[in-house]
Amino acid sequence: MTTRSLATGLALCASFVIAPAGSYGQSPALTPFDKLPDWSGTWAMTGGTVFDRATQTGKGGSIDPGVREHPPYNAVYEKKYAEHLKLRDEDRYPDVQTNCGVPSGFPRILNLPDAYEFVVRPDVFYIIAENGGNTMRVYTDGRKLPGKEDTWGTYTGVSVGHWEGDTLVWETVGLKGDRDNDSILDRTGLVISDEAKITTRMRKIDAQTLEAQMAIEDPKALTKTWNVTKQFKKGKPGLFLYDYGCAENNRNPVDPATGQTHTLGSDGKLIK
Amino acid sequence: MKSTFKTSVAALVVAVGIQPALAHHSSAGFSEGTKVVSGTVKEFQFRNPHSWIQVNVTDETGKVTEWSVEWGSPNQLGRDGIRPSTFPAGTQITIKLRPDLTGHPIGIFVGAKMADGKIVGKWSDE
Repeated sequence: MTTRSLATGLALCASFVIAPAGSYGQSPALTPFDKLPDWSGTWAMTGGTVFDRATQTGKGGSIDPGVREHPPYNAVYEKKYAEHLKLRDEDRYPDVQTNCGVPSGFPRILNLPDAYEFVVRPDVFYIIAENGGNTMRVYTDGRKLPGKEDTWGTYTGVSVGHWEGDTLVWETVGLKGDRDNDSILDRTGLVISDEAKITTRMRKIDAQTLEAQMAIEDPKALTKTWNVTKQFKKGKPGLFLYDYGCAENNRNPVDPATGQTHTLGSDGKLIK
Repeated sequence: MKSTFKTSVAALVVAVGIQPALAHHSSAGFSEGTKVVSGTVKEFQFRNPHSWIQVNVTDETGKVTEWSVEWGSPNQLGRDGIRPSTFPAGTQITIKLRPDLTGHPIGIFVGAKMADGKIVGKWSDE
């Protein structure tokens, strides 16, 4: 080995040794694992998939005629919601997820059936919803929210958070909302806009219950802050979660022209 | 041992009366009332996003109609004790369902009574 090649090798080694320590090491400001709350296990949302049960009118699920919710919509969005409710009552307001292609988005990711895992780490918090499947990331590594010019509207937006004792507090921006008519909060037809900003406070209120309080601000759609609370009960120990291939056996395609949901037979042919 | 397991599963299902929501599409096109059909299980599709029980129903003229009966996701049903073997092909079954409002042979699963009297799901008059 020549002196030159030895020097090159040493320089390469030095770069590998130094880079992880300088670029990838855990920040001492992060809350360490042993100081974080235990949200392990599986969880399931309580109640039906009506997004805001506190303002619900009528009994039943989000697809039942007569059931509606009362967000503090302005006139434009109240009119839009009324139109969605009318289509829902005519069975012509298909769930945007029925064609198996888009995420549930936020805040709907906290309004899903099936099971959840909430993964707490020093640098990031993950919401893993079996239904969908859907994933959301909340960065808790001290970074700031990006500026408006650095967000472009996605289903779950971007979120950063911090811990206040055992409560995780995070802010979410950069949501696409109803911009493309493919993101809803539930099947009553609730939507928010691409200007929404949501502050969520999530904590364990007892050993078996997690609670998420969401304060939704949306100058384009709401006249005041809309507060919604969702709760999740812990599952029995040892339960398994599974993948959820929406397109695996989707026998309910939607007709884009009419909004009607079809049904295919076991042979793949149209029944209705 | 296997039959003991199946009995336990059936008992569990009866006890909790599981009625998983249709998580993937609206059920607005289905009646709130129920209908009962009896026939032979053709196939139990234990796959996402919804499970389907295919049942061949023969009428008094001998005409066979295949019913498609929709249930919850296999993920949730599996945690509640349902298995792909819960409805074996060829089994005689009586199913209570919420029928499609337009009269097609489609329904949302409410409950089932097996030939040996076991109940799966909800059978409210039991």
